[in-house]
Amino acid sequence: MPNVGAELASVPFGKMIYDMASAIARSQVALDKASISLVKVLASTTFDYVPDVVETLLPNPYQVGTKPALGQAPHPLVDASGNPVMVTGVTVQTDVGTPFPLTLLQAGVNPTFYQFTNSTIEVKMSITSTQESSNSLDVGVDVTASADFLFASGSISTHVNFSTANKYSYSVTGSSSMSTTLAPVPPPKNMMPRFFLVNAMDPSKISISQS
Amino acid sequence: MAIQTYLIAFKREFSQDMSRSVQHRVKQRGGFILMVAKTGIIAALDDSQVPAVAEHPDVKLVGGVTLNPQGYAADRLQRIFAENLSKQLQVTTN
Repeated sequence: MPNVGAELASVPFGKMIYDMASAIARSQVALDKASISLVKVLASTTFDYVPDVVETLLPNPYQVGTKPALGQAPHPLVDASGNPVMVTGVTVQTDVGTPFPLTLLQAGVNPTFYQFTNSTIEVKMSITSTQESSNSLDVGVDVTASADFLFASGSISTHVNFSTANKYSYSVTGSSSMSTTLAPVPPPKNMMPRFFLVNAMDPSKISISQS
Repeated sequence: MAIQTYLIAFKREFSQDMSRSVQHRVKQRGGFILMVAKTGIIAALDDSQVPAVAEHPDVKLVGGVTLNPQGYAADRLQRIFAENLSKQLQVTTN
């Protein structure tokens, strides 16, 4: 008779778990190394950061002139009293702040770190056992008798046919599946540098820190 | 299908041709260029297309990045990303 318990016990659960955990650990190390390499690239990528652009609107009054005829100078417009008609014009003065180099890491681009979560090993096993028995018994008795003037004879024969057949089949099929979830996580604090940005021109006035 | 932001680091010194070649590969794979720097490209790319981009001969590594809102220039970078993305998206209406 099939022993289901023995079959289940033969499944190498320990080895499967170890292999999976080992593969996850190796993958985690590779992912962490890639993310750390990315930190280096981000820390070495600089760009010129313009802190601010100041646009100042300045008055620019000018006198209105009539549209000149072709080839003639424009005529300034005056009112009835002879005063020039002025309009309040405006000019935009743009002052671009002094750019300073900033790394992508300082600017706010962080590498993504990944972490394996929720790993599952699933083993399915199907055990099928069938047993068929068939027996047949054939018993026969032949009796013959003859009688003559002086003799009488008789014979009895019997036969017994017995046949038996046993069919026995046993099959075990199994399948296993492994799954794991990879989720992005915030960068570990110990792997990310802390930045302190201090305005050296006036340290007491502006001091921005980022961690 | 999951689109993430990746930094694609160059293997060699920056050159226009190399940068264009890598950008072309990203576009071929359905990605979007968010920002180009001298050491690499920040692009929005589908996860499944990352190996194909990483196989480019001028690419050193491809790694996922996120924008830290507390970063010194995060808001500016976000605007730059959005502006560059809008130039590459085609909006159609039925």
